[in-house]
Amino acid sequence: MYADFIIIGMYLALMFVAGIFFSRNIKNTADYFLAARSAPWFWIMGAVWATNIGFLHGYLAHGGAAYEWGLIQANFEWFQGPFGYILTGIFFIAFYWRAGIYTVPHFLETRYGTGIRVIYSLAWIVIFIVTIAAELYLGGMFLKNILHIPFWPTVFVLTAVVGTYTLLGGLGAAIMMEFVQFIIMILGTMPLLFILLNLVGGFTGLKGVLIDQWGASLQYFTVLPDIHHPYGPGPWIIFGQCFVVTIGWCAGHQSMVQRNLGARSLYDAKLGYVVAAIPKTIGAFLYVVPMIFAPLIFARFGIFVEKADAAYGKLILNLLPSGMLGLFIAGLLSAGLSSISSVLNSSSTMVIKDIYERFMVKGKSDHHYFIAGRIATFGVIVASLLLVPVVLKVYLIMWLEQTLIAMALGPFMGVLVLGIFWRRTNTPGSLVGFLVGGAFAIFMQQGLGVHIFFQISWWSFVVTLITTIIVTRITKPPAEEKVEGITWESDFRAKLGEVLDQRAEKSGAKVEAIPKGKISRPSWYLNLKYWATAILLAQVLLLFFFG
Amino acid sequence: MKKILFLAGILNLLFLAPVLMAQERFIDVRQKMADNLTEVKKAIRIHNNWEEAANYFNRARNIWEGEVKPIIIEGIKRDSQFQEYFERMKQVDEDLSHLEQLLGNKTDQEIEQKANAIIWAISHHPRGFDVPKPRYSLWDWAFGLGIGIGFCLFATFFGLYLRRSYYRRYKRENF
Repeated sequence: MYADFIIIGMYLALMFVAGIFFSRNIKNTADYFLAARSAPWFWIMGAVWATNIGFLHGYLAHGGAAYEWGLIQANFEWFQGPFGYILTGIFFIAFYWRAGIYTVPHFLETRYGTGIRVIYSLAWIVIFIVTIAAELYLGGMFLKNILHIPFWPTVFVLTAVVGTYTLLGGLGAAIMMEFVQFIIMILGTMPLLFILLNLVGGFTGLKGVLIDQWGASLQYFTVLPDIHHPYGPGPWIIFGQCFVVTIGWCAGHQSMVQRNLGARSLYDAKLGYVVAAIPKTIGAFLYVVPMIFAPLIFARFGIFVEKADAAYGKLILNLLPSGMLGLFIAGLLSAGLSSISSVLNSSSTMVIKDIYERFMVKGKSDHHYFIAGRIATFGVIVASLLLVPVVLKVYLIMWLEQTLIAMALGPFMGVLVLGIFWRRTNTPGSLVGFLVGGAFAIFMQQGLGVHIFFQISWWSFVVTLITTIIVTRITKPPAEEKVEGITWESDFRAKLGEVLDQRAEKSGAKVEAIPKGKISRPSWYLNLKYWATAILLAQVLLLFFFG
Repeated sequence: MKKILFLAGILNLLFLAPVLMAQERFIDVRQKMADNLTEVKKAIRIHNNWEEAANYFNRARNIWEGEVKPIIIEGIKRDSQFQEYFERMKQVDEDLSHLEQLLGNKTDQEIEQKANAIIWAISHHPRGFDVPKPRYSLWDWAFGLGIGIGFCLFATFFGLYLRRSYYRRYKRENF
């Protein structure tokens, strides 16, 4: 056990020092919030995945849900996740770049106006604070259960490590740390699956025991179950989750988008997002598939598991030898810290760019907003710490967070899709559509008692679409210059450079020195169309075997 | 305003505290029972000490009778989370009696297996095990096929629209 403590201590110290090292040379808001637009595609790939996968959306809560409901949880990795990454990389990222923005709400304002920006940013700031609190809670509980160390000191140490480098280094430090953590995560946590396969006698052996001897449902081993499934009906996974929540998450989640805005070129941003689907697919073998084996291991070796969220920790504690456990925990901490760091950085960006600079203190120097960004990061840390005790109440934390997100992403996807693909969409239409869609999502959950968030997101998306189209039709179309460069049909090719430069100049997001390593004409092996096709084919094969 | 927020916070904590404490306590007592049963296994397997094993077994049984069972019986009245444990109570009682017999007879073949079965019975089981087999009504087929075919048609026409609008503005020879 001492070996594990030493490894974890060394890992945390390394993260702390490396974070401070990467934080040097941060001088202005473009450095702090957009990493001086310097990240190559492979950093973006690692950072996007590490942002996506944490304690909450990866190992602990996601793994816990896999223990609870089975292989259905892999639909995030083998179906909708890669689909969302690829679609966002190919279609949506370019529009954000052309708009010259710092934040997703900023894009909504550029396209529609101020009202929707305020509502969207406030909703996401709340979601982000809940997310950080949930990540800290899960991390603290995990280390408490595994290493028997006190909860609160652990939470404070985690916060101090991640808070320091995010607060000092902004997006640049966060992206570089996330890339390092991405490698540690894969290498540190992959051995678990091989240990389990060896113990149980492969996937066929596992199915033999669980289905034939225990009488477990066949649907425990299905990625896309039937429509009556209580947790995730197949059709709703496709419509609500795949077409709305996942694409909305990839294109509307500030942390995910911000990593791409920090890329050194648009092509790096797009390629980084598309190839991030590879680690996303592999992710299921790190935290979903092992959890399908967990019930058999628990029963066979007499391991007590009190609730689904604790299952992952119990599994590794009882299976991994000393030393390897420390490495594994370092991998897990990488997942958690990278997610916390990205959400922390994004929430402070939104607080400063969407609220503070836009409405509270206008026209100050860049240095003023840079310092305010650091103060905002600290404020978000404090708010999240205060929320940690409340998170304790939630039985399945992931359910709460996903429901909140489903309520925000349905309306967002409605106005985003219409905003990009239908230039007639105007401000009143989008605002009314967004509000009605959001209200409908809340009504579905609170009034109708719908608890399957895929359904909430799908119907709120449909209601937003219909409302926006109706209101847009009966009101005036937007001015031509307002939608120039940021809708599908606009003449962006001819005016792209001009539009991009003007917008970037205006928002302060323009970076003078672009590094020489920028990709302009990619080699065949960096062609994102080839990668996208290969990844989608891999998804089809996985669904064929496990669907 | 500040006072109202402060009072709301206090009230929230007052309402939350008993629920949280009950949940934590239910976890703690089951963990304690599982730990004692693990010690029973260790006492036999490592130390071959039957007396020590019996002591640990008695502690586990006392925790079951005095703490875990009452919480389940009380909890089932207000919270469906206790349902799975309620359904397995009879099995745990039987397994404990069987384990007691094995310890009394000093037959070590089945002890580990039985102790493991009890620990598993007081653990949280996946809800996905109880999901019914896939079943499809006529309406499901109509719904699925309707939406599936509808989506394919939509994707085709929308794709053609995008393609047309794109090439209308940027001539093919530019690519």
